[in-house]
Amino acid sequence: MADDKDSKPASAPPPPAPPAGGGPPSDKPSGPPGAAAAPAAPKADPLKETVPSRAVDLLKERFADQVLEITYYAGAAISVIRKDRFAEIATFLRDHAELRMDYLSNLTAAHWPKRDRPFEVIYHLFSISLRHRLTIKILLGEGEETPSVSSVWPTANWHEREVFDLFGIRFTGHPDMTRILMTDEWVGHPLRKDYPLEGNPGDHVQYREVTTAEHVYRYDKANIRGFGWKKEVEKTGVGRG
Amino acid sequence: MFRTEDMEINMGPQHPSTHGVLRLKLQLDGEQIKDMRPVIGYLHRGVEKLSEHRTYSMIEPLTDRLDYVAAISENLGYCGAVERLMGLQVPPRAQHIRVVLAELQRIASHLLWLGTHALDLGAMTVFFYTFREREIILDLFEAFCGARLTYNSMRIGGLLEDVPRGWFDRVRHFLKIFPGRMKEYEDLLTVNRIFLGRTKGVAVLSAADAIAYGVSGPPLRASGVNYDVRKALPYSSYEQFEFDVPLGSHGDTYDRYLVRMEEMRQACRIIRQALDRMPEGEVKAKVPKYIKPPAGEVYHVVESPRGEQGFYIVSTGGEMPYRVRFRAPSFVNLQALPVMCRGGLVADVVAAIGSIDIVLGDCDR
Repeated sequence: MADDKDSKPASAPPPPAPPAGGGPPSDKPSGPPGAAAAPAAPKADPLKETVPSRAVDLLKERFADQVLEITYYAGAAISVIRKDRFAEIATFLRDHAELRMDYLSNLTAAHWPKRDRPFEVIYHLFSISLRHRLTIKILLGEGEETPSVSSVWPTANWHEREVFDLFGIRFTGHPDMTRILMTDEWVGHPLRKDYPLEGNPGDHVQYREVTTAEHVYRYDKANIRGFGWKKEVEKTGVGRG
Repeated sequence: MFRTEDMEINMGPQHPSTHGVLRLKLQLDGEQIKDMRPVIGYLHRGVEKLSEHRTYSMIEPLTDRLDYVAAISENLGYCGAVERLMGLQVPPRAQHIRVVLAELQRIASHLLWLGTHALDLGAMTVFFYTFREREIILDLFEAFCGARLTYNSMRIGGLLEDVPRGWFDRVRHFLKIFPGRMKEYEDLLTVNRIFLGRTKGVAVLSAADAIAYGVSGPPLRASGVNYDVRKALPYSSYEQFEFDVPLGSHGDTYDRYLVRMEEMRQACRIIRQALDRMPEGEVKAKVPKYIKPPAGEVYHVVESPRGEQGFYIVSTGGEMPYRVRFRAPSFVNLQALPVMCRGGLVADVVAAIGSIDIVLGDCDR
């Protein structure tokens, strides 16, 4: 970031947008375009400056047909790639002698409901020995799966569980695709844009019969005096207070 | 015929030494741990979802509540991320004060860790000593911003106000007395035979595993991997300061202790330099009243006391972020806990949890 910012002048301000769904810097589907565009335009130029990145060059060279788009923002290169050969690309990035992206710093997703392919899975890679960064993005349609990278970077395991939990994106080949932050009974995926900010928890938890092994304790009005275990809780508003 | 079978036992979520609401499902063969599954999410408050419905300046108080024992590091990381998103330059004086605050916070956080970690291992005295010094730092923070735990101390573009008169002298006074106090802790622990027995060779994490599991902060450096965000990707003028990154060699609980102790000394060194070179001038850049970063995205990392704290912010040009993700070091480091504990004893789990220094508010967000 800071150390490679001042090495190359701005040559290509906005990268050409490809036909199939661009990254967030190139289009703004839900922001107020009129208000923000005018004052932000002079500021945006230094931010979108192209930075030299060995990772991007090698990626383009080796997987030319897989790279859909490269954008730059605030000194970071963001490459949107196809998901078909992603497992191979991940191993390449980790093992190539000039890249050594051995540290998956962050893995997350974003939901853009108005786009053709509404989900983005974002990987922030870092190389501990060579100290360079790369952002990889994969675009997914509703219900589409993407290969899990938990065998390449074991740290992806929990990150992918979290993305599944909060966005409902499944990862093919993940050893344990279960919810991690929300309870197992939760219905819906909270970080989707169509998921309401406020609401009644009763609408989002699917109650079912409780087995003794699970010991799920449910506190509700009917049971307040006995403080007992409620065996059957239906989704009929019991416990909504 | 006799037979043996594995026992599954729950540790937490209300266990005093899990440092919050963490539940561990242990699979035991006698006293030995065969496998472990951490269960988290008890403190999930949906901060990322909330952030999508708040303006940029309204999110900063939410970041206080993530890692509530190192709130200043969160403030610093969040403000830094938004500033990068906007291409904003922070005045040098504000950057230096931020460094002083962040390093004081590092000492306060490590003191809390040291006290509770030693307490978990049966050394009660250290707790009283470390909290005595932590109190001095909290008083400094209170004098600066009025709060003792959730500071909301910074603003996008700098600081709300300059430090109060005489504050730097109080910091200098703290720096003067602190090395002597550190000697007191070390006298109690560093060569204490019981402490050595509980920590040496316990919960070992190899360098390769640490990198593969994305571990960061003192646990990573105790395994001998030289990665400190302050050195690797400097932010907030850290490149101007001289300090060493302490590294361990065995990756065990004792090395993590040594690394954190040395980090406290290095933090004092950084604060001293920052005070000596404190520039004059403004503490806040010219920031529009309504913060609307241009459409774009940024992933900004800072070195919090727990490790690499990342902030991923996507803007569409509106006054609220489109997507915010907090990369929590506690969340990622906790994932390596089963790797550390497999084959060890139940009693060592307590030492291992203490040694990675998790904060569940940060982990569950």
